[in-house]
Parts: sequence; C-alpha cells; structure tokens
Amino acid sequence: MSRYAINSLLYRLKKDRAFRERFNADPPGALADLDLTAAERSAFLARDMYRINQLGGYLHLTMSVPGMAAHVTHEDRETPGTPHR
Amino acid sequence: MGEIVFAGAMSHVLDPEYYENACGATGRRKVEACMTEIRTMGARFLGRRPDALIVVADDHLNAFSFNAVPAMCVRIGRSVNRMMQEDAEAFDRALEGMPEHYALHEELANRILEEGIDAGFDLALSWEAPIDHAFLSPVMTMHGAAPVTPLVPIWVNCFVAPQPIPARCFALGQHLARTVARSPWNVGIIATGGLSHFPELLLPRVGDTDSVFDKKLLYWMEHGEHAPLAALTVSELHKTGEHEFLNWMVLLGAITPARADVRYFGELLRINLAAVEWRVP
Repeated sequence: MSRYAINSLLYRLKKDRAFRERFNADPPGALADLDLTAAERSAFLARDMYRINQLGGYLHLTMSVPGMAAHVTHEDRETPGTPHR
Repeated sequence: MGEIVFAGAMSHVLDPEYYENACGATGRRKVEACMTEIRTMGARFLGRRPDALIVVADDHLNAFSFNAVPAMCVRIGRSVNRMMQEDAEAFDRALEGMPEHYALHEELANRILEEGIDAGFDLALSWEAPIDHAFLSPVMTMHGAAPVTPLVPIWVNCFVAPQPIPARCFALGQHLARTVARSPWNVGIIATGGLSHFPELLLPRVGDTDSVFDKKLLYWMEHGEHAPLAALTVSELHKTGEHEFLNWMVLLGAITPARADVRYFGELLRINLAAVEWRVP
C-alpha cells in the first residue's frame, strides 16, 4: 500500500480537469503508467471510494473528487443525547 | 502594547445547503443556528476595532499536498487567494461566491514567523498557498457585508500523520500571544474545525461523532482547565474524531487561562457543531 500513489492520484483527479476527463473516457489507459498495486488499480477502476479510503486514500479527497466523490447522507432526525446546557 | 481583543473557535463548514443535503432539514436548521451565533461573535469582534485577525485552521489537501505538508505554516505576503475548485463537491462548495482575494496583515505575519523561528518554533512559511473553507467559511460568516479584516492565516496539519502534538500547538499559541503583546495592534484570533466528526478518518465512520468527548472538551474550556487539554494525544483526537481540535489548541495557548463561553453546541449525524468565545479583556 502506498499512501503517496493513491493520494497523488486522487489529488490529480480532483484538481486536473484534463486528467479527470481522460480517466472518465479511458480508465485503464489513464492509469496505465502509474505505480499502483493491483488492489489500488482495481479500486480506482471500480470507482470504489470506500475501498480507496481503506487502502489509504485520505477521507477528504474521497469525498471531494468531482463526479466520483463518495456521498454519505444521514437520516433527517434529531440525534439522541442531552443538550450541552 | 498590542492585545488579543477577541478569541473564538467554531466549526468551519458553514453551509446550510451542504448540511441539508447531508442531514435534511435538521442539518440546515442546526447550522443556521450555529451561524447566527458566529455572526453575533463577528459583530463583537468588529466592535473591538481590530487591526488583524489570526485564523488557525487546517488544510484539506488543497493548499499543501505532495510537495510538502508542513506541521505548522504561516502565510506571509500582502494578499491571499481563496482555493479555486472546478465542479466543486461537498464542503468545497462552501467557497462558491466568496471573493477571490483577501488582504493579509503582512507585518504581523512576518513577526509571528521571524520571532517564532528565533524562539525555537521551526515554522514553515508560504507566499502562495491559497486558503480553503476552513479559513473562509468562518471569516466570511463573521464579517457578513463588512470589509474583511486583514488576515494572518496559520495552518496546522490535522490530517496527514504524523501530526504535531497538542502540547506543541498550545506552545505555538503562547508564542502568538507574546508576539501580539510586543506589537502595537489589536488582534483577534479564531481557530476553526470540529467538533467531533469522521473518527479515524474512515468513510464508514462518516456520521459518527463522540458527544461525550466533545462535552469533556467544552467543560475544560469553560472552566479554564487547560492542562488536561494540553496533555491530550494525537491518537486520542484521531479516535474520537477531534483531529481539528489541534487548531483550537493553538488558540488555547494564546488566551490561557481565559475561560470560554459556549455560544452554540448542536449534535448532528454528521458532525457536532460548535461556536465558542473566550472572555478576553
């Protein structure tokens, strides 16, 4: 597992529109020259942000890459517990 | 002689739309209530006729990424840009519509940096790093339509292990207080982020909070008990989702032993929102 390989790829997907478009059009081609393990490559090809996060991808990147961010929503209800004051 | 005329800390995704998308109407209602308190805090801050606002916050791999991740960094120069993100998602959208450029208080930033290095704080410096929602969401909520006070952004690495320890963050805050005291300026300081959310920074934990730990932190701050806070470990903060409390530790060092008043605390299935103000002279 390489935190650098995964996170630099997430960062590029977030900040570099041309690369993001290339990845969307041809995922295996966009990743071809990158130094990724088989598990990392497979997670990106599946666009599986939970797996990418599990492999070391930083949470905030997995939640903010345009078009493939993990969207987590919650039930609209009051949380249990007592108010602070 | 300079003085810290305002000190506050608050959550930093202040975006009703974000919370409505994440948590429904309850999310919108709670963040709007929190923002109302932060606006009132901002009015009190501006009423002190401040010369500068120190903002202690963290980067979300927007300004610093893979060339360097500084433990603590002072933004110097004359102005700073906001982070720009095409097709922004989630919390990045909180920046949309905000001005692109902000004035810095160049001389105060330089003094914090130079006197810090002299005092043994090996601070990083940046002339170019942009600031993201962690800085601008609170700053713009506090200022509303008023001109933005010249800023001194200071980053603390809250996410990329290994992070600086809470005691060191507290010590940096004490350095900020000494620098301000030697200056001629009235200075406000805010710390942003938190309270508990995303324990261990894992996607399956998004939605988990630790209200018990939050209330412990609030109790210590309300009572001016800063020793147990400075004794916290990065590991404790990581496990409880309090990683951004490192920013708050810097503020605590700057105002210790002042006591805090909790202006807002709201539990939410995303993050526990908070706004806290200290009783500074």
